[in-house]
Amino acid sequence: MPVVDEIREKLEHLNPETLEVIDESALHAGHAGARPGGESHFRVRIRARSLAGLSRLAQHRAVHAAVGAELLARIHAFALEVEP
Amino acid sequence: MTAIDQIKETITSNDVVLFMKGTKEMPQCGFSSRVAGGLNFMGVTYKDVNVLADQDIRQAIKDYSDWPTIPQLYVKGEFVGGCDIVTEMTLSGELDQLLEDKEVAFNKDAAEQIRAANA
Repeated sequence: MPVVDEIREKLEHLNPETLEVIDESALHAGHAGARPGGESHFRVRIRARSLAGLSRLAQHRAVHAAVGAELLARIHAFALEVEP
Repeated sequence: MTAIDQIKETITSNDVVLFMKGTKEMPQCGFSSRVAGGLNFMGVTYKDVNVLADQDIRQAIKDYSDWPTIPQLYVKGEFVGGCDIVTEMTLSGELDQLLEDKEVAFNKDAAEQIRAANA
């Protein structure tokens, strides 16, 4: 399964109202952490009622927890935008 | 001294600490570069810790902060966030407020310039 889909599947558990998972690896080709097959750099934009009202740190930690340490350890970069 | 003890010592003996890939003069990653560049531009005095130079620190800071990515910014011993959060806080003015509350000197005009350039 593509990593984008793995991330999306994990984040569905937060019941997001909107969710975008973007593989930005091509933007970082040749740069440190990039891999020949891509799937290294990801960006997530999410809006979820379960995240509303939390501090920024708590929002990010909730997303990190949902994605899971195992998956985060496999990728090089995880950019996150939590939308209000 | 264990890596965790070294981290505690560093964040208590420096008002502002950035755990990053590379150094403030020569960042080795775009995300570290963005945060270091912002702090440099705002004239913040800070200690840079290059996690690429020490694998124990690199792992220990992730455990200590309960945060999976680098860079990580600490102000007066308190974890502020990573690249996304620091960028958002810079653009919203919350970082100015935090630095003012913690009595850390910075150039307010430079912070305004960053916001103007990203408006």
